[in-house]
Amino acid sequence: MTVLRLTFATIIMALVVAVTGIGSAKADTVGYADAIKILSRDCGKDIERYCATATLANYGVGRCLKENQGKISGQCATSLVQVTQSIEARRAAQQSADQVCNRDIQRLCPMTKRGRGYTLQCLLKAQPSVSEKCNAAITNAGWR
Amino acid sequence: MTIARIAVPFAALLAGIATPAAAQNQLDRNQIIKSLYETGSTVAALDPAALQAAAERAAASGGDNAQGPLSDRINTLPQLSVEINFDRGSARIRPESYYSVGLIADALHTPYLMGQRIVVVGHTDATGGRELNLKLSKERAASVRDALVTTFNVPAAQLTSIGLGEEQLQDPAHPDSGVNRRVQLLNLGP
Repeated sequence: MTVLRLTFATIIMALVVAVTGIGSAKADTVGYADAIKILSRDCGKDIERYCATATLANYGVGRCLKENQGKISGQCATSLVQVTQSIEARRAAQQSADQVCNRDIQRLCPMTKRGRGYTLQCLLKAQPSVSEKCNAAITNAGWR
Repeated sequence: MTIARIAVPFAALLAGIATPAAAQNQLDRNQIIKSLYETGSTVAALDPAALQAAAERAAASGGDNAQGPLSDRINTLPQLSVEINFDRGSARIRPESYYSVGLIADALHTPYLMGQRIVVVGHTDATGGRELNLKLSKERAASVRDALVTTFNVPAAQLTSIGLGEEQLQDPAHPDSGVNRRVQLLNLGP
């Protein structure tokens, strides 16, 4: 009976994790809105208490929470790491996408006008032929 | 507290929403894209700096309340109004509005809006002095732009910000109404 209940709990847990994307490889493709929402949800009280003047610009609120990591709640500290990683992963993907996709652009979009918007449109249309790496970079950059 | 409000008929038409009241809390990335997407024919010329200067003159002209809208051309542009909460009398974005700013960032990073010139326009209601309202609206619009450009990595060249204070009310019949407090996004095209 106990074993059964445990299994059931595990399934529920797995479902929760699958639905929310917590701890999965999906974390690095989370959009900015979904990422920052976690911070206001889990750190709202700590922001009010310790970072009442910190701004969203320059990720001031994230930096302030980090400076106060000894005082903030455990949930907020965990979420802060997750959110900071998501935002950094997205920025990194945006910065490296041009380079990662360079060969695909040469191969699939030789006649396309240069400029991120144009080549991106070309790569999105050519998606089935685009390399896995480049497709992943576009997804992680939030450019779909 | 509502996070989002679509305040323009243009956006309501595109999104198939009948009234602003029905649009409460429905802001999502695709809705922002639809509202700001320009098809070429919808783009009209607008000089944000000239509009800012007109607002400064109007606010300095005295009188308690603004006379009327500064620009009718604004209404012809692809646009969206978003409710963003700030600290009282300050340009600090409140945490409950982080999500809305993040959604705007996500939308601006899509190929549909990539490379478009977007103006962030701050508005207040008519409570309080005109010049103070103008100053606050400028600071708040700049605060949204700063968050988009820094934390959310939107290319700086794509975004400008202006503040019109109470000089371009959403609901001139009710100048003190909360619907006038809004952050408006305008698409000026590529």
